[in-house]
Amino acid sequence: MKFTSLATTLSLLIALLFTGCSKSRPAASAAGTSSERKLTVGVAFETLQTGYWVAGFEAIRHELASRDYAMLEAVADGDANRQLEQVKSFITRKVDGIILVPKDAQTCLPMIKAANAAGIPIVLFNRPAEKSEARSVAVVADNFALTRETVAYQIGVARASGGRREAMILIGDLGDINAVGRRDGFDAAVKGQEDIVDVVARVPTEWSQEKAQAGVVNALQAHPNISFIFTSSDFLLPSIVSALKSVGKYHKVGEPGHVLLAGFDGDATAYAMLKDGYLDATGVQDVSFEAKQAVQAILDLRAGKAVPDLILDPGFVIHQKNLSEKSSQMWGAGVGKK
Amino acid sequence: MADLSHAAAKSVTDRLTATLRRVALSEYLVLWLSVIYFLALAPFTPGLVSPENLVNLLVALLPLFLVALGQTFVLITGGIDLSVTSTIALSSVVGASIVNGNNGWLAGQWFAAPVAVLAMLALGAAVGALNGLAITRLRMPPFIVTLTGMMFFSGLAIWFTQSKNIGGLPVAFTRLGGNGWLAGAIALATGAFAHLMLTRSLFGRWLFATGHNARTAYLSGVPVRGVTLAAYVICGFCAALAAVLYTGQAETGSPVLGQRVLLDVIGATIIGGTSLFGGKGKVLWTLCGVLFLKLVDNSLNLLNLSIFTITMVKGGVILFAALLDATRHRLAGSRP
Repeated sequence: MKFTSLATTLSLLIALLFTGCSKSRPAASAAGTSSERKLTVGVAFETLQTGYWVAGFEAIRHELASRDYAMLEAVADGDANRQLEQVKSFITRKVDGIILVPKDAQTCLPMIKAANAAGIPIVLFNRPAEKSEARSVAVVADNFALTRETVAYQIGVARASGGRREAMILIGDLGDINAVGRRDGFDAAVKGQEDIVDVVARVPTEWSQEKAQAGVVNALQAHPNISFIFTSSDFLLPSIVSALKSVGKYHKVGEPGHVLLAGFDGDATAYAMLKDGYLDATGVQDVSFEAKQAVQAILDLRAGKAVPDLILDPGFVIHQKNLSEKSSQMWGAGVGKK
Repeated sequence: MADLSHAAAKSVTDRLTATLRRVALSEYLVLWLSVIYFLALAPFTPGLVSPENLVNLLVALLPLFLVALGQTFVLITGGIDLSVTSTIALSSVVGASIVNGNNGWLAGQWFAAPVAVLAMLALGAAVGALNGLAITRLRMPPFIVTLTGMMFFSGLAIWFTQSKNIGGLPVAFTRLGGNGWLAGAIALATGAFAHLMLTRSLFGRWLFATGHNARTAYLSGVPVRGVTLAAYVICGFCAALAAVLYTGQAETGSPVLGQRVLLDVIGATIIGGTSLFGGKGKVLWTLCGVLFLKLVDNSLNLLNLSIFTITMVKGGVILFAALLDATRHRLAGSRP
């Protein structure tokens, strides 16, 4: 085929594409006819790689279904540019609102601006955007306060058991505001507690289990007396358990040599470890509360009501002493039960 | 009478077979597949044919086309460049470090955006040159060189930013990728230049000769080492140009930018018709491959399929395209 005939073919394709535009169906086709059309919300998650995100996704699906709303879904598999395409697809389909879990605080800004330009309310679920002129509402756990409370409990246990402990924190991806809040919450909790806790290792994980495991192994080799560990997310617990087992330091609460262990999220692994007596405490995000608030914020924004830029989920700390009382509210305890 | 109708039926069948054979053997089969795919899905896919979606589709394919374009040059020589994703990431963070308004090296200067773009392109070309030198001078396999290059430059990008994104990029920079017309003009100009380079220049002929048979090309006076090196430089340059567009679209310099596009890059180039074994490839084929892949991606998203289904269907479509390509080659081999 010569170049000219290819050019003709390409022109034909473009003509076909734009001819097709005239036959474009109304966006209402996403869910029924325009007169009786269900409210449709586009839900775009950056990833579904951890239990928390899967639980969040299902909680939003459940919340929308319970209100008889339609849901369009998209998962970007960690690719911010792909997520931008997906959000634009939602806008093309004229959804009534968008719930977004972005990869980070910055790359979501063009998505929020695109939704703003289209007049579609957008709510960020569990991961807020950086401050900018782009308008959005974020529903997030109070990472700082909940972490501080969790670590304060852990310090209390350490103080009761007596002696000074060497401590380690596993830090998340610092491009994620949640990771920053949890690190700062940890620092605030240990500040002024130097007589009990000496932070000797800060392991950067970038939210990667492999990096977490390598970092914990290295830290335990460099500081064999570490006996106080806080992880910024429960999904890293298996990496810590593996590293502790390899050095013979994985013991139940109350057993000699037990390493004080606490986390954040409240996932199924954390629940199992609490139940089995290996985990001291974890800060639980209330997934159901956050999903309800996210959907309600969309409705309020559509109704023109004033909605704060930040809706905080206070969460709660679950530990060995209140496990039986609080476990019914812990989302990780319900995983796989339905 | 029966003989006559039988002969007429046979004639129709023969003509149909010949037409199908012609279509199947067409160099631009993927383009025809795209048209058929589009027409077949249009009635069932909400929003597929809306102008907004078509514009989104075209804008989304531009950076991928640029990366695949560079990959085409390397594949024609019989090589492969797996380091394009880390070149994208490294260029992105270096450009953003220069231009960002918070603490950029040239923050607030009128020339910050052009300097950042030039630095990104120079960096991309330099990464390509390093790959090319290792392959031509040290005689190392392209797969190993570029695989380790991918790891090294990806790690360098993360170290450079301490894993943080760089925001606060000025509009003068972000509009290069964010403005569809501007991004389209950049991609079109680069594609046209690359097309002319491959089809109308001595360098293009050298490139194909090197890919067909490097030894014969060398004996015929082709500077094989220089040509191979240049192909990798072009590939790095194109990846950096794609980084300008990706960074502009995301309005953020990210050390993990483009991390997930490698399969799309290789897949689109191969689906278009460029051979993994070298000596065969065209800019327009690559454009068709990218169009097909992005069309599949876009339509599956609009169909509201889950990520798991999309991944499986996409894999199946790519496999189907590859099977069709293999069948085509067999048909071409048995052509009377």
